[in-house]
Amino acid sequence: MALHPDFPLQTERLRLRPFTRGDVDGVFAYRGRDDVARYLFDPPLSRHECALAIQQRASQTGFLEEGDRIVLAVETAANGHLVGEVSLIWRSVEARQGELGWIFHPDHHGRGYATEATNALLDLGFGPADLHRIFARCGAQNEPSWRLMERLGMRREAHFREHALFKGRWDEEFYYAILRDEWLSLRHV
Amino acid sequence: MSSLRLPIETGHLVLRPFERSDLDAVRRYHTLPSVQRYVERPTRYEEDVAAALAIMRSQVELHRPGETLTLAMVRKGDAVLVGHVSLKWSDATAGQGELRFAIDPAHSGKGYLTQALTALVDLAFDHFRIHRLMVRCDGRSHHSIKLMQKLGMRLEAHYREHALFQGEWDEELHFAMLDREWRPTAKVQELPMRARVA
Ligand SMILES: CC(C)(COP(=O)(O)OP(=O)(O)OC[C@H]1O[C@@H](n2cnc3c(N)ncnc32)[C@H](O)[C@@H]1OP(=O)(O)O)[C@@H](O)C(=O)NCCC(=O)NCCS
Repeated sequence: MALHPDFPLQTERLRLRPFTRGDVDGVFAYRGRDDVARYLFDPPLSRHECALAIQQRASQTGFLEEGDRIVLAVETAANGHLVGEVSLIWRSVEARQGELGWIFHPDHHGRGYATEATNALLDLGFGPADLHRIFARCGAQNEPSWRLMERLGMRREAHFREHALFKGRWDEEFYYAILRDEWLSLRHV
Repeated sequence: MSSLRLPIETGHLVLRPFERSDLDAVRRYHTLPSVQRYVERPTRYEEDVAAALAIMRSQVELHRPGETLTLAMVRKGDAVLVGHVSLKWSDATAGQGELRFAIDPAHSGKGYLTQALTALVDLAFDHFRIHRLMVRCDGRSHHSIKLMQKLGMRLEAHYREHALFQGEWDEELHFAMLDREWRPTAKVQELPMRARVA
């Protein structure tokens, strides 16, 4: 469903809001790092590339047509510190499918921020966006990422082996997914 | 790579390119909903079958990634066409291929697909040097699932309600196999002497 949510989205400890030009340093602080980029499609970004990415994200705040994405900055509610980003992509209008993504600054790992922020995006996807299924994927070696998917209540749907080359090596990939009914039963226990 | 030698013989079948005169036989199975699912060109109506056949007739070699090789399964003895199998070369750098198949239900359950697909897997790994082969199938098609298991394919994916197919939620399985996982068959012994010595 076409969607233009009101921002920020508020969770217990976090605020999810569109990116602004003031975020360039904050984004560069994590997107510029090797350890963060290890399993990402993009290599570490330069400060300039971060600035360009943020420009693009100015319009990535709602769903109008297939392929549109909502990319949000995640900051702490307490002091407005940028800790990472989450995204939801509208993959299929007809079959109401969405894809989730996340990247957090390593200084803020291990506190459940990624879980909290992504749960808010699941609620947005299954609630106002009326999606039927939301999936996410990651490299099989990216254990923090697939453990996050399991915390979110997603099921492992696929384990691909050597189906492609990724950064010059054979890739192994997981797909996880959650259906609307599964999400409903998680939220109404 | 040496050029492809057709037809290919299996125990009960000859696998050969399609011919114009196959139209009636193809009509018997190509418009079935279960076949529709994974054919390149949907043929909801009988009129569409001629166009689908024209495409299959042209799929006789794999020269470039993106191309498909499609072979008719013809029974030895009475020359009845029972279905087809195909191999798509999906990606060159990562050596990826995809198998598809369709059979006239009047001839299913006789092991023809097992024979034909075994021959095609041999061809994919030995002749075309594919690294990984995958097959998609309907999550509710127990025949296909059994067939994949018989071939020794691994279940790699089970998608639930990931798409709509003919107005209903779809369930899709992906099976796959790497070149090193394919059991070598008795084909080495079957090679004529001169081919081995050269
Ligand atoms: C994937 C990624 C976001 C996961 O981060 P994470 O810190 O493990 O995830 P969370 O923020 O949900 O934190 C969960 C951890 O905090 C702990 N935790 C502490 N307080 C918590 C709370 N209140 N709620 C939930 N978990 C809490 C959990 O026990 C868990 O720790 P564990 O892994 O030792 O069990 C992170 O590794 C990352 O950004 N990686 C780089 C980018 C990337 O690869 N992105 C994905 C590409 S596919």
